Amino acid sequence: MKILRLFKNSQVFKIALAVAILVVCYLATEFYSQMKKLDSTVELIANSNETQLELEKLLSVISIYETSLRSYIITKDETYIENRFLSRGKIEEAIKKLKTLTTNNSIRNKDIDSLKNLIDYRFKLFRQTLIIAKSKSKSENLNRLELNAKLLESSEVTDKMKSFVNKIIFSESIKAKSQNNNHQFELQDSIITAFLLVILSLLILLLSFQKMNVDIDELQKANDKLKLLNESYNSAEKTAGFGHWMVNTETNQYTFSDNLYRLMGVEPNVFEPNIENTIKYIHPDDLDYVTKVHLDSLLNHQPTSMIFRFLTPNGDVKYIMGVGSFTTNSNGDLIKIGVNYDITNQYQKTLELENNNKELKYINTELEAFNNIVSHDLQEPLRKIQMFISRLEEKELDLLSGQGKEYFLKIRASANKMQTLLIDLVDYSRTIKGDKVFVETDLNKILEETLQDLSTNIEEKKAEIQVGNLPTIKAIPFQIKQLFINLISNSLKYSKEDSIPEIKITSGKITEKEQRDYKIANKEDYYKIVITDNGIGFKQEYSEKIFLLFKRLNTDPKYSGTGLGLAICHRVVDNHKGFIKVIGKPDIGAKFYIFIPKGDLL
Amino acid sequence: MITHQDSMHILLADDDEDDRTFFNEALQELKMNNKLTLFKDGKELMDYLEQPDIKLPHVLFLDLNMPGKTGIDCLKEIRANVRFKEVSIAIYSTSSSEKDIEDTFIEGANIYIKKPNDFSKLKEIIKEVVNMNWQFHTSGLNIETFFFSI
Repeated sequence: MKILRLFKNSQVFKIALAVAILVVCYLATEFYSQMKKLDSTVELIANSNETQLELEKLLSVISIYETSLRSYIITKDETYIENRFLSRGKIEEAIKKLKTLTTNNSIRNKDIDSLKNLIDYRFKLFRQTLIIAKSKSKSENLNRLELNAKLLESSEVTDKMKSFVNKIIFSESIKAKSQNNNHQFELQDSIITAFLLVILSLLILLLSFQKMNVDIDELQKANDKLKLLNESYNSAEKTAGFGHWMVNTETNQYTFSDNLYRLMGVEPNVFEPNIENTIKYIHPDDLDYVTKVHLDSLLNHQPTSMIFRFLTPNGDVKYIMGVGSFTTNSNGDLIKIGVNYDITNQYQKTLELENNNKELKYINTELEAFNNIVSHDLQEPLRKIQMFISRLEEKELDLLSGQGKEYFLKIRASANKMQTLLIDLVDYSRTIKGDKVFVETDLNKILEETLQDLSTNIEEKKAEIQVGNLPTIKAIPFQIKQLFINLISNSLKYSKEDSIPEIKITSGKITEKEQRDYKIANKEDYYKIVITDNGIGFKQEYSEKIFLLFKRLNTDPKYSGTGLGLAICHRVVDNHKGFIKVIGKPDIGAKFYIFIPKGDLL
Repeated sequence: MITHQDSMHILLADDDEDDRTFFNEALQELKMNNKLTLFKDGKELMDYLEQPDIKLPHVLFLDLNMPGKTGIDCLKEIRANVRFKEVSIAIYSTSSSEKDIEDTFIEGANIYIKKPNDFSKLKEIIKEVVNMNWQFHTSGLNIETFFFSI
């Protein structure tokens, strides 16, 4: 595995290849020099063989000469010596050749020189012998004696010459033999070198082939992966509703993704990707802007971001968010890559939201106008009615019959009820309206003011109020006061007739049960204020309903109410990001729990 | 127009006829021997006040919501003129909106009265306001004491 990993490392592979090639080069030069050496050995052997041959020739020429001479002496036939000058020429030729063959060997060269001297001397003897054999002046005996002496000398010189030549031939043959031995060794070395060379070359070839195989395999795998990635990217583009494009700023060559074509409302690759073909699909109103931004960016290489519209062939308008940025490819060319994102849905939703918002604002102003009507314009005639009622009551009541008096009192009660209703409505609308300014508010102080405001009512009911120590919180003071007023008046209103109303306002810690029931993450995050009474109470099943607008549990006319009081409380606590809960028990009383988050949660 | 030495001169500018009647009746029932002059809008009031030879009133009851020249307009004009600096101004309005209360306080009114819905209450208010020690009231005036409550 490790080897395979090393193998995959192209750096390591390159180094190995370089070393192998160096070794091959070394072996090749070695092989070449061996061959060269082999060549010279062969030459040397050939030289030696030729030298031997020439020497043999020399000897044979001399022998022929001797034989001819002898034959002449015996037969006195002139034809035997006719060719002697020819033979002499052959010898000269042989000597000359031997000289050239032995130019590289000075000792041998000298040997040849001395051989030449011997041959010259021998020929001198030939000539002298021939002269003696030819002379007829001397006596035959003397002549014979002289001839014999010359022939003897000739024979000695010839022997000397033969032995000299044989010596040379022998030494040459030894030399040739040793050369031949060397030649054997060198040939063996060359074979080994050649074998190594072949093996190594094969190894390199094999390695390269293997490496190539591995690379191709890897490439194939990478290619497959890329293909898969491309496919998933394409499908992602389709699902997410975006398309991308690229332009090489050097070659001005554009590339569009499949889904970019789809964004333009056409099938992928139906036209050559370039500006000219694309502008047909850009909304005419946006065209100038889009082309300007794009072409400017190609000059200043700044990233772009714009919103424009595509106009598809079937007339659909698509809102597109286009962003572009620059990068360089492996050739070092500057490439602009752009992503176009179909934001038609978002755009339409935003548009819808804006419309809704406008409508809401309009409704709000209407509501405010309505609120003004309620709080001012409706109160004005009501106040008049009440004024006249008070005038009647003071001056004319006695003049009415019993029935008339009863009617009158009902009119007065109805007018008063309407007044409270109007006041509650104004209070409720004040909790909805904006400008909620949160300030540090001492709840003890707010409660004190509340009790002051309700003092007449409290005295009337002879209620006992217990107040615990309350925290200072971030709140909208007038709303908190409204909350206290409503809750305490609620307790006073629904008190039991036969016992003294007792109302307790305290603050406390959040219990484990409350934390669980109301899903409070951290007990320390909330203030808890509890308002307890001993009034008529209610069934726990109504505990959510009583906070709803205009919901009244008690329809008994002695408990007058508008159905707004607790809705206002709910609203106020809501405005403070808190929540209000109530636990009611019929004939025992009600317990209101107010949870208001501390500082950071507001 | 006979003006008694000890009697106070009271003005009321209100476009609502019923309210003028209630006010007049209440003052009469109180038997306070005060002189009351009524105006049915802001213009009539200002025309009267701009006469150079009149005796200045002690208290002016000023309705806010009047056609033409509103109560606030009158208030601004009066407070812009040093001649009227001794005149106490009581705003007398159906509205009890914080905006109206604040605006009139800033413009220099002395007290803000929300029109009552009970005649006996009206009598009480008039009695209190007419007999008020203005110097004492004005010296400690703030937005809380500015809004009159019984």
